[in-house]
Amino acid sequence: MTDTPGLEVDRVVKRFGGLQVFHDVSFSLRPGEVLGVIGPNGAGKTTLINVLCGRFPPSAGSVSLDGKSITGLPTHRLARMGLVRSFQQTNTFKSASVRENLSRALRFSGAPMRVVERVDALLRQFDLHPRLDEPSDKLPYGLQKMLGLLLAYATGPKVLLLDEPAAGLERRERTLIDAFVAAARADHGCSVLIVEHDMDLIRRLCPRILVLDAGHLIAEGPPAEVLARRDVIEAYMGLSDEDEAA
Amino acid sequence: MTSFVTATLIGVSLGAQYALLALGFTLIFGILGVVNFAHGGFYVLGGYAAYWFVSAAGLPYPLAVVLATLVTGILGYLFELLLIERLVDDHLATLMLTLGLYLMLSTGILITFGPESPLFEFPLNGTLRAGPFYFPIANLVVLAVCLLAILGVYALIFRTDLGRALRALADDRQVAAAQGLRPRLLFPLAFALACGLAGMTGALVTPILSLAPHVGDPVLATSFLIVILGGLGSIGGATVAAFLVGLVEAYSSVYLGGSKGALALFVLVLIILVVRPSGLFGRIAREA
Repeated sequence: MTDTPGLEVDRVVKRFGGLQVFHDVSFSLRPGEVLGVIGPNGAGKTTLINVLCGRFPPSAGSVSLDGKSITGLPTHRLARMGLVRSFQQTNTFKSASVRENLSRALRFSGAPMRVVERVDALLRQFDLHPRLDEPSDKLPYGLQKMLGLLLAYATGPKVLLLDEPAAGLERRERTLIDAFVAAARADHGCSVLIVEHDMDLIRRLCPRILVLDAGHLIAEGPPAEVLARRDVIEAYMGLSDEDEAA
Repeated sequence: MTSFVTATLIGVSLGAQYALLALGFTLIFGILGVVNFAHGGFYVLGGYAAYWFVSAAGLPYPLAVVLATLVTGILGYLFELLLIERLVDDHLATLMLTLGLYLMLSTGILITFGPESPLFEFPLNGTLRAGPFYFPIANLVVLAVCLLAILGVYALIFRTDLGRALRALADDRQVAAAQGLRPRLLFPLAFALACGLAGMTGALVTPILSLAPHVGDPVLATSFLIVILGGLGSIGGATVAAFLVGLVEAYSSVYLGGSKGALALFVLVLIILVVRPSGLFGRIAREA
């Protein structure tokens, strides 16, 4: 990890018409760092990923990668610059086999041979290897999610944006996310931003977390410290009658 | 037996023509999610372009077919780039745009060339005799060219990086873009390919059938029917359905006669869609 910020987000705002999804969000993600983003439903976490990956342009503010402005660039250009996302749902090429899915990701991104070899190792680790010729939409849900992560891995990312990677996975499958993040950091040296509701996973993987609530960044710091904060607990749990009366 | 063999040849020949048309139609739907109502217009334009290159420019027919394919392909490319591109996710807008383009194409042709069918004949006449069977040479040549073109399309889609990229876009545009594919670069190429195929079919087939400003109407209807029968967006389904429709049309017209023949086709389509609502090779539902 270096002190040079890889991804810098500066006072980013996103509005859809009169609806402001988030406001003045600023943070940085250093190369090799794993950063968690948590918050209650509707806080704007997935929209943040959509803005960072270029699906939606920000309404205001700026985003830069390795010191170069990437504000408003489309998804495909950001992907080619190494900023790659995974999806909350199982987003694979559904009609294609596991092999074809990975072949597309490797070819489109022009991945070097070492990535191909690592993908092969990860396929075995995630129990996908025996299913290489099955259509991806016939895989069990957990394997579809892992395949979706592998597609992002295969592009050789500098920055990985993971949108609820553990959602819908069984508890025993969630440890695979740890292995995936470790592999991505070890092999690509990439930084990882994880939006997640699973606090155990966040505590395990993220030395630093951000908390979004109703579009505002309300806390930032180590998980143990942030998750003990009263305003963070209130954001998740709401105020008690006594608190509101006070 | 003679009539069966003749009907089979006609059916396969019709099927190959339909397959070329339907492949373009299904490519556009599969990749862009657009139902191209101008498809029949590009077929007519291909016919008239080839006719113009032969009759006015004095070019040989094979070169005229190549040029007609290029003209329709380039026009399709520009149409997608300048108009469809901006509204690609608005299904109603693209429907109206393509319908409007079809009306403009057919009306433009009507104004330029008049309502009468021009004299546009296939350069090769005569029949090939094999025992008791007679095969028109023009049909055999068109069949051979159509089959080669179908193989070419399959090679492009399933054996090249461009085809792999187009299939990826058809599968999931968001996932493809997240891996670095540029949809807005590939959409016009897909549209150009589809319109070029329609134009080439028009240039090949209209000298044998007929050339008139309105001949795109049944072409659009048949392409639509084939693509639904094969499964929207399915390349293999469109090909199989095209040959099925060609053969059913040929057999029913030989053994049942004109109007009963048309009825037989629609009854078959109805039965297949009742049994398989998403078509022969269609997926259950296409995500938007």
